[in-house]
This record gives sequence, structure tokens and C-alpha cells, in this order.
Amino acid sequence: MPYRLCFCFSEDNFPPELKDYQTLAAIQHDLKTGVSTCVELVRLYLARIEAEQHLNAFVEVYSSDSLQRAEEIDAKLTAGTAGRLAGLVLGIKDVLCYAAHGVQAGSKILDNYKSPFTATAVQRLLDEDAIIIGRQNCDEFAMGSSNESSYFGVVRNAADRARVPGGSSGGSAVAVQAGLCHASLGSDTGGSVRQPAAFCGVVGLKPSYGRVSRWGLIAYASSFDCIGPITKSVEDAALLLEIMAGADEFDSTVSTKQVPAYSKSRTWNESQKVRIGYLRESVESEAVAPAIRQRTLEVIEQLREQGHTVEPVEMPLLKYGLPTYYILTTAEASSNLARFDGVRYGYRSQQASDLESLYKKSRTEGFGEEVRRRILLGTFVLSANYYDAYYTKAQRVRKLIRSETEQLLTRYDFLISPVTPTTAFKLGEKTDDSLQMYLADIFTVGANVAGTPAIAIPNGLDENGLPIGLQVMTQAFEEEKLLSFSQYMSATIATPEKV
Amino acid sequence: MTSTEFTPTELPDELLEKYETVIGLEVHCQLLTDSKLFASDTNRFGGEPNTHISPLTLALPGTLPKLNQKAVEYAVRLGLACGCDISRHTIFDRKNYFYPDLPKGYQISQDKAPICVGGGVTVTTKDQENNPVERTIRFHHIHLEEDAGKSVHDGSSSDTQLDYNRAGTPLVEMVSEPDLRSAEETGAFVTEIRRLVRYLDISDGNMEEGSLRCDVNVSVRPFGQEEYGTKVEIKNMNSIRNIMRAVEYERRRQVSALENGDALFQETRMFDAETGETYGMRVKETMNDYRYFPDPDLCPVELTEERVQAIKSQMPALPRELREKFVSQYGIPAYDAELLTDTRDMARYFEELCGLTTHYKTASNWLMGPVRSYLNESGTEIAAFPLTPGTLAELIELIETQVISHSVATQKAFPALLEEPGRSPRELAEASDWLQNRNTNELETLVEEVLQSMPDKVKAYQKGKKGLMGLFVGEVMKKSKGKGDPKMINQLLAQKLN
Repeated sequence: MPYRLCFCFSEDNFPPELKDYQTLAAIQHDLKTGVSTCVELVRLYLARIEAEQHLNAFVEVYSSDSLQRAEEIDAKLTAGTAGRLAGLVLGIKDVLCYAAHGVQAGSKILDNYKSPFTATAVQRLLDEDAIIIGRQNCDEFAMGSSNESSYFGVVRNAADRARVPGGSSGGSAVAVQAGLCHASLGSDTGGSVRQPAAFCGVVGLKPSYGRVSRWGLIAYASSFDCIGPITKSVEDAALLLEIMAGADEFDSTVSTKQVPAYSKSRTWNESQKVRIGYLRESVESEAVAPAIRQRTLEVIEQLREQGHTVEPVEMPLLKYGLPTYYILTTAEASSNLARFDGVRYGYRSQQASDLESLYKKSRTEGFGEEVRRRILLGTFVLSANYYDAYYTKAQRVRKLIRSETEQLLTRYDFLISPVTPTTAFKLGEKTDDSLQMYLADIFTVGANVAGTPAIAIPNGLDENGLPIGLQVMTQAFEEEKLLSFSQYMSATIATPEKV
Repeated sequence: MTSTEFTPTELPDELLEKYETVIGLEVHCQLLTDSKLFASDTNRFGGEPNTHISPLTLALPGTLPKLNQKAVEYAVRLGLACGCDISRHTIFDRKNYFYPDLPKGYQISQDKAPICVGGGVTVTTKDQENNPVERTIRFHHIHLEEDAGKSVHDGSSSDTQLDYNRAGTPLVEMVSEPDLRSAEETGAFVTEIRRLVRYLDISDGNMEEGSLRCDVNVSVRPFGQEEYGTKVEIKNMNSIRNIMRAVEYERRRQVSALENGDALFQETRMFDAETGETYGMRVKETMNDYRYFPDPDLCPVELTEERVQAIKSQMPALPRELREKFVSQYGIPAYDAELLTDTRDMARYFEELCGLTTHYKTASNWLMGPVRSYLNESGTEIAAFPLTPGTLAELIELIETQVISHSVATQKAFPALLEEPGRSPRELAEASDWLQNRNTNELETLVEEVLQSMPDKVKAYQKGKKGLMGLFVGEVMKKSKGKGDPKMINQLLAQKLN
């Protein structure tokens, strides 16, 4: 492990147990009433990170940094000048730049690299007084669905340590699940926020493509990548999105659409009945685990009981989602990752004897197997002889999927499905079978291909006590509607845990 | 009969003339925007290495490009000047390849939807009888792209050093059709492009500093043959003279190879300015697959009709337009107009001058005569010429109204004004006692004195040696201390002698 944790307290002043805060509002209430302070909160989280070190959720912990910031924010709270996120202890996925801090996308190739600037999304949270407690483990360059491809080793699911947390934002999901921080910032290219959120029983939001600036997000596939929050509650996801979203002069692909006050419009009017479509395959297919099918059907039933119209829908193009995703994301990745060449920064092979071997050796030694596989795949699909057969065709299919999704979403307010076909699988179970691994994203890639927003919310547990997630999707830039309905569902739909 | 091996330098003209040379150019031109094509760093030549580099220029992880709209405007300006179709929808593509001077591992360029399509420039060369020949050289397209950094080998070690100041500088690449037919025409083409970009104020067109550089494609084919011969690309040419030398050498090399029965193959060659020869690069030529694809970090650029019209309305006058205007409006010869429009600054100076005096031909003569000599001798440009058009116009008025003589103006007043550019020519002439003597009585006296002092010459003149007139004029001039009006002196002498 390239880092060691250092802690500022000893056994005898070990702090009291951390409360299981579900919302930032609850934390802020305790801060306001003097029950707690930011410094105390940070200490408690640091203690938990140490206690749960074996989960391997964090790559680097900013102990003194975050304590110092906590002190500053406590002072601001006293002075009444604190920002909207005062009291929020946040972890960021190791693909988000934070000035003067290391960032390496879970890869050896960025060994010792420190970013000189801060990602726009991170900066906006900092400006509202969020405290960043550390950077979180993830699949190398966000490529993976199990967090087993990280240079920093696997991350373990806190619900069952023999199982994966999902990926690629595995460390970020586990950190929220295990209470190592209050919320995390992840990135979602094909399900990398929603899938681990589902495996860990927390909320994961993938906003519309272009809703949040990508400046400072280490690119995997530029036309798919979205920064999204992982939280305990929909309420917090709404608040974080509201603060991060919106125009940014550093990203030409970010939307200039006005950002609604997501956090203020959360209440769903119960008398408002909606039309919901659910993927027929997701509750009929043998490939979907029985417990997941059952929980999804129970949700459908309860929604109907509440007076909503819920109908099965066909998405004939669903089966092309994964191939389209893998062709286009690997194509973009092969080019996005060309800058990691050992010339200007990061890892450089010491065995190189000339320019060509400098490139070959640095990249072969610096990248892990999955990243190399995707770079090769992407290079292949972009090569002159195969470009039209793969890249051009995949772009066309992407358009079709997008219009199919848009069509469906003109007839239905929401599309629901399970987040994943199975609950968290065992570590090492799928590492030798890329295809099986890629199928973990079957229900999530659609939103990235189409650019629509989608959220994963907890939907009970399976027979082994493993979390199940429910995905809700709606039209692009309709996060307001998505968040208020998801909040309503979270509050009203009975899950076995609650029963 | 034994066959003779021809060499490029010893090739009989009759063989050379059997072949037609076909040349196409890719001209790269750096745009003079304040910042880079996709980053906010300063875009200037020179500076200490790696001082104009931002996280984006270095391709640090997490950075994203942001298109410089000024560069788009400059490219449109160029396209409009060349009669291109301006693409209303243009996209940027990534050209992927590895090289240390290319920080991202790809260059942002344009492949399938370049900003300008078609168009061309007209070049003028001379035929064998020295008559001007005009031909239009068509463009395939013009596209926008970013420049790479520079690898530096300082000789003291085997290490390569990298300077990324230039990385990300905006370039327009003008790709011509294979329409050029000679070295001379190629030189004229590049000269015209350089003049054009300077007129348009989009580039300094400086070839020594690499602001303008060319890749030259050359092939030969027997006259009458339709299909093109095997072409060779000569990379990174950075002087017009060398471009012409390289084309000529390559033409001769290819013709002699064909005449010798040797095969030509498609390759990239370099030009050695020392020897005047081109040489093949001894590296294995692998077909590069640049894997172009649309850059997902950039949105397509939609150029509205209004925007194009707005750019059009702010276009400066082009050299060709000015040439025509100078001939038709100011009545100066085409040759003068050509020289006066050689640079935009000279043309501007002339235009300003013509707004202050109506003696257009005299104005043109001054600029092409004394002013140009002064600029040549002092090694300066018209922009740095000390006299304002106002001062020069006043001097011209003094000559035209015969207040001072032409010779006094050129030999005394002009040098004195260059010493004291702020002074009024009239005030200077008065103070220096240069005003022309136009007093008939005084001049008549001087004429008589001169004629009396050389009776032999008078006789000779009257016997028909009319060439002596110049001598008499000169003598009278001398006596008038240079101030006599030569026209009047001539008249008076003629009266007395005939």
C-alpha cells in the first residue's frame, strides 16, 4: 500500500460512537443545537475509517487537512457565516482533482501525481463548506464493475466482506455504507455510481449528461462520464446536485440550462398520479436474481396500489446497449488515456532505452490489465479498416437507443428497473470472465447511452441480507421530477427492512 | 548504344521539358490570437521555454478544451477572402498519434467537416515573353487545428528537451488541389498566401519563426498524361526560396529517375538547404492510422449566417481589390499598383497619402522612389517610416506648385525632414532658402551671363548640337544656387538661342 494512515488521537481519548445520520439536515441540526461540532464529526469519521481500514475504501485520508478545515467551519458556524454544506464530511473518488492533493484514478501510471487545480464540482462543494476527508478507491480509470481492478487493491462490501462493493465507485459507495463519511462524490460512465450504490444499499444519482461540469474529472469516456453523489438519502443527493450543477466556462459540453432548486422542491404531491413503465425483461428474465425480481414486482404492486399506472414496456434495443457502450467508451478511452505516456508526469519505466520503448514499457507497466484491454479494444474499433463497422455503427445505434428512450419517456413519466441483475457477487467470482462482469451493467448503461438522469435507491435486502437497488429514470434535465418522486418512493414504499 | 545515367543536375533541357510538374501544398499558418486554440495561455512566439503552459497545454488529467472563438473568426475571414464555402456546421476531430511534443497523445484537428471548403487564390507569374500569366490555384479545404510543442536537442547531452510553449497554438491548414505547375508558380502561391494572411491581420506570416510553413507534394508526368505520377512529400519547408529550390530539385530528380528507368516511390523527403537537394528519411515508413474521430469534449460549431455576415462586414480590403482600386481610382500604372500593395502597410500609407493630395502619380513615385530607397537602406518597414502621410503630402504639394524644385525636394528637403520628421516642409524650405526662383528678370540676367561666357558652345548649339541645352541649363541652375525653376530656365534659354 502506498499510503499509511496517521491518527491524531490515542486509545484513551477515543471518541464516542458516530450517530447514523441519514441526512445532512440532521447533522446540521446537531451542530446548531451544540450536540456536535465539525471537529468532533471529523474525528469520529477518522476513527471509523481506521476501524474499517480493511474495507480499503480510501486511498488517502486527509486527516490534518480535514480537521483544520473543520475548525475553520466551526468558527464560521459560530459567526453565522457558514455555507450550505457546513457539517458535510465528504469523500471523493480518486478520479476527481483537488488542488495540491494526489489523484491517480486507481492507477500506477499516475504514481505521485498531484493535481494543481480543483474540479469544478468539488470546488463548488468546498465553496459551501464541505470538508473533504480523503480520496476513495475505485476501479482503475473507472473501468470496472467490482472495484477489483484498482492498483490499490480490492474494496470490500461492508455488508459481506467476501463480496465486492460494485464499481467503479466502489470505495465511495462503501464509505457511505460503512459510515466512513457522510457522502461521496463518484463518477458514472455506465453505472459506476448506481451499481455500487445498489450493492451497498445507499443512494446513487447519475445526473443528465452535461448537468455537472466534467472539468477536473479524469476522463474515461467523455461523452458518457457524469459526476454524481452517493448519499444516505435522496434529500442529500438533491442538495449536492443543486450545488454542483450548472454552466461552467471550463467545460464546453456542460449545459447552460438553469439549475432548479432541487433541494427545495423535493415534496411530491401525493395526489399527483404518474405513468410508470418497467422493463418487462427485468422482472421476467431468468438472468435476474429471484429476490430482485420479487422486490421489483412488490414495488410495482405498491405503486399501483397508490394509484399510479404501471405498465410493462419493451425496449427492443436494450440488448444493444452494452455493445454500443463498450465500443464507444473504449474508443474514447483509447484516446483519452493516450496522455499517460510517461513523458510529462506520472509513472515512467526505468527500463526504457528509446522513445518507443519509453511509451511501450511505461504504459504496459503503468496500466492494469482491464485498462490495457479497453485501450486495445478502443484502438481497434477506431482503426481505419474497422471504423465504420464498429464506431460509426455504434454511434448510429446510440442515436436509436436515445430516441427509443426519449419516445418511451414521452409516454411514461418514469422508467423503473432493478439497478443490477444480481446482488453483490463474491470477490474474484467474475474477474476471469469479462463478459459476465460487463453484464453487471446491463440495466445501468442505458441512461449513459441516452444521456438521461437515473437514480439508484435502496429496495430491501435479498435472502443473504445483501442490498437490492431500484433504478428510476426520467427525461434528460428532469432531475427535479426524478428526485422528488424518488424521495416519495423511498418514504412510502415498504421494504422488508422497514416492515 | 550505351545508356547514359542522368543526374538531377545534368539533365538535358529537352528531356526535362517532356514532363509536366504537378505540385500541391499544405500550408500551415499560425493565427495571431491572444490565446491558444483551446486554452487561455498566451499565444506568442519565443519566451523562455515552458512559460506559456497551463494544465490544459500540458494535458494534465481532468482538463478540457474550450474553443477560442477568435480563431474561428480568423479562419472564416481567410475562407471568405479565398472565396471558400464557409461550413455552417463544423466539427473538431482527434488525430491520434504518439509523439513527445504532442501532450494529449492526439491533436485536435478537423477531418470530415472542415471550416472552409473550396475556394482558391490567384497567382501571377511571367511567361517566356515576360507577359503576366494569371492562374487560380484551388483549395481543397482549409481547416483549423492546434500546433504541437517543440523537441529541443541542445547538443550537450543525448537527452531530448521539450518546450510546450507552442503546443496548442491555433493553426489554419490550407490544403491546395494539385494545381501548381512550376517552382516559380509555387513561390508566387506561397507569397500570395503570406501577403493575404498579413492583409487579413490573422498572422504575421513569418516563415523564419515558423508562423508559416509548408509541406510540398511534387510529382511529374509526361505532358498529355492524365493520371498523376508518384508523389513525394517534402516536409516542413520554411522559406519561399527553399520551397522553390526543393520543387526544382525534386522535379529534376524525378525526371532523371524516370529517364534512367528507375522506379519512384511515394515517400516523405527532407530538403537540405546546404546542398539544395532533397533526401529520403531512412526510416521505415509505416502507414500511420490516425484513428480520427469527433472530439467528444467539444461541441460542433454552428456558424450562423449573421455571424458570417458580421465577419464579412469587418473584412479589410484585399491586395487584389486594392490593386484594382489604385489603377482605376488613382490612375496609376498596374506595375506601381502591384508594388504599392505588396504589403498592407504600404498600401495603407498610399491610400492615406491619396486622401491628402490629388497628385497620385507623384505620390506613387515618391513611395516607390525615395521612400523605398530609404526603407531599404535603413532596413525598416513602412510602418516605422518617420514621415507622416501629411508631411509627405505637403512636400508633394510644394513640388507640384513649383514652390521648390524636384531636385531640391529629393536631395535636400527629404533628407532634412528625415532628420527632423516633425518639421513642416514649407517652413523648412523657407528657412533654408530653398524656394524656387521664378523671377523672370533675375533668371533672364543669369541666362544672358551664361550664354555670354561660352560663345563657342552657343555657336555649336546653333549649328545643331542641341544636346548642349542641358549644359546651359545646368550652368544657369548653378548660378541660381539651385533655386531656378528649370522649366522657366529652359524657356528663357530657348528664346535667347533661337
